[in-house]
Amino acid sequence: MSEALAHLEEIVDHEREHECEGIGAKRLCVRPVSVAVLPTRFGDFHIVAFWNNRDGKEHVAILRGDVVGREDVPIRMHSECLTGDALGSLRCDCRDQLEAALRKVGSLEFGAVLYLRQEGRGIGLINKVRAYALQDRGLDTVEANRALGFRDDERDYAIAAHMIFSMGMKSVQVMTNNPDKMKQLQDLGVRVTGRIPHVMPPNAYNRFYLETKAARSGHFIDFSGRAHLPEQAEPVVVEGMPEP
Amino acid sequence: MNTVFPLDPHPGVLVVGAGVAGLACARDLAHKGIPVTLLDRGRGVGGRCATRRIEGQPVDHGVAFLHGSDPAFLDAVRSVPGATILDGWPSRIEGTGTPCQPDAFAPGERRAAYAEGVTAFPKMMAAGLDVRLVTTVLAMHPDGALWRLDLAGGGTARARFVVLALATEETLALVDGLPPGDLELEGARHLLRMVASSVPCLTVIAGYPADAPAPAWDVAFPETSMILKDVVHDSAKRPDPKWTVLVIQAAARWSRQHAGEPVDAWTQGLLAETARLFGEWAAHPTWTQVRHWQFGRTESGNELAGPLVVEGAGGRTLGITGEVFAEGGGVEAAWTSGRLLAVRLAERTKG
Ligand SMILES: Cc1cc2nc3c(=O)[nH]c(=O)nc-3n(C[C@H](O)[C@H](O)[C@H](O)COP(=O)(O)OP(=O)(O)OC[C@H]3O[C@@H](n4cnc5c(N)ncnc54)[C@H](O)[C@@H]3O)c2cc1C
Ligand SMILES: [Zn+2]
Ligand SMILES: [Zn+2]
Repeated sequence: MSEALAHLEEIVDHEREHECEGIGAKRLCVRPVSVAVLPTRFGDFHIVAFWNNRDGKEHVAILRGDVVGREDVPIRMHSECLTGDALGSLRCDCRDQLEAALRKVGSLEFGAVLYLRQEGRGIGLINKVRAYALQDRGLDTVEANRALGFRDDERDYAIAAHMIFSMGMKSVQVMTNNPDKMKQLQDLGVRVTGRIPHVMPPNAYNRFYLETKAARSGHFIDFSGRAHLPEQAEPVVVEGMPEP
Repeated sequence: MNTVFPLDPHPGVLVVGAGVAGLACARDLAHKGIPVTLLDRGRGVGGRCATRRIEGQPVDHGVAFLHGSDPAFLDAVRSVPGATILDGWPSRIEGTGTPCQPDAFAPGERRAAYAEGVTAFPKMMAAGLDVRLVTTVLAMHPDGALWRLDLAGGGTARARFVVLALATEETLALVDGLPPGDLELEGARHLLRMVASSVPCLTVIAGYPADAPAPAWDVAFPETSMILKDVVHDSAKRPDPKWTVLVIQAAARWSRQHAGEPVDAWTQGLLAETARLFGEWAAHPTWTQVRHWQFGRTESGNELAGPLVVEGAGGRTLGITGEVFAEGGGVEAAWTSGRLLAVRLAERTKG
């Protein structure tokens, strides 16, 4: 067994009874429950599955190398997107973003992708499909999308922060194009020592980002004429993209 | 035209619906110094948080208990002056059927009721607010930079800011008549149609002599019944009850199928099923009352993340809120959705 895996197993063992007051306004607590090796097409990782005190969503950390007790761990927060991540939907960029994150972390000595399970409740997959349906009818208005607001960033940050503490990471570098993400984590007590821009390689599906003309009031219209909803709560950056 | 208010137009916000959502919104606006008036067709506040006094004994015939996990909501629930809180009620659960609110027993969720009846909560929220009861809004119209509400009995009321804090279907009844053309309003209307999913609930309140064999549970969720959603042992909430009282709530499908029948028919149907499950004594109450909730609970999966604010010509603004406009459903969601709307409206009334 690798040293990294041994460290993670120690943590799972040590946290067996963990249930704290919770983090953030929503008082979220997570507990690492099981760990295993996870070889992927993007590199070799460990996967840690978490319990939480709110719902049946099993959040996971995909870890590269030994992060326990480490400083400056590169991390990427990714919010689950069934349609994009698993089904390869072209209505959003989630899959490209996830792949870019796994490739990047997989190429490093150590790092983590925190995969946050958001979808599945009222606010989640059902409302995302509703948002798509409104879009199909040309009724994807600002207010309707806001009410459908299928993202709960606050919850994401609290869970991510707790995962970082649970895994014993001493400080992190956040892979993001949204500096606000760093601040949100800092406010929850995470030591953030830097930001790593999250840049996706260009491919057949995200080429339109490279044409400034494609942007309509901050929304990018893809080749099929649809706006890409900002499902990962940060601006997309494709390699070679002109500055906004 | 005959306006019912001394000030026309109303200088602040008119809130239609004094259920928990409308009250929460109005209260926060009033705290910020914004003039608010609530209009409700009912004889009391609270909407589906409803308590009747029967022979001197309070009976909750809508919401059976409050539940939530938001610390601010739980604080509000615990700080109702003069009310005896029953922290943790219901604690004795019978059956494994789905609770009325599927989340009510999720980890982190707290439950409570009041010995005085569940309306203690909305009554506390209404204290000090300008509430016009027995005032039904029949229709609304754009009127220049204002909204005009037509009231039953012939009156009208006008304001730049109107809030609808109703069941989704009741909101749709008012906004469906508005002229088309405004894209934001169309988006909102379409969204409301997508989430309109209130299910009906036929309810029988049954009173038995206090020496009847009172059940050993607070709430039953029978898993094997196609007829009953739940049975609430209401008198278990009352100190020294004169009557043993069951509140028998029918399943949505059964309610839909039987709503058109004479009241006696469905009352007997619900009593017979209760007796089948819990004992013959339950078939013969000393007295009964009924309530037909046309828009009862919202089907889960239809919750939105926050309220809608639609701005029209001249700053005329319509806010739409209610239990579906926050996560989780139920009273906590109604409360949260009303407060979220107050935050957004307060920004605008100042500007
Ligand atoms: C049988 C039943 C059991 C339930 N049990 C629970 C439970 O145990 N726990 C829980 O948390 N939730 C429960 N719920 C759900 C809960 O009642 C609702 O989520 C919550 O009360 C909704 O609050 P609201 O303010 O959004 O709407 P409402 O309470 O419906 O308020 C709307 C108000 O608007 C008024 N109104 C409507 N139309 C007009 C008009 N045209 N003009 C003027 N006024 C109008 C109505 O009179 C009402 O007062 C239950 C619901 C039912 C029906
Ligand atoms: Zn914890
Ligand atoms: Zn996506």
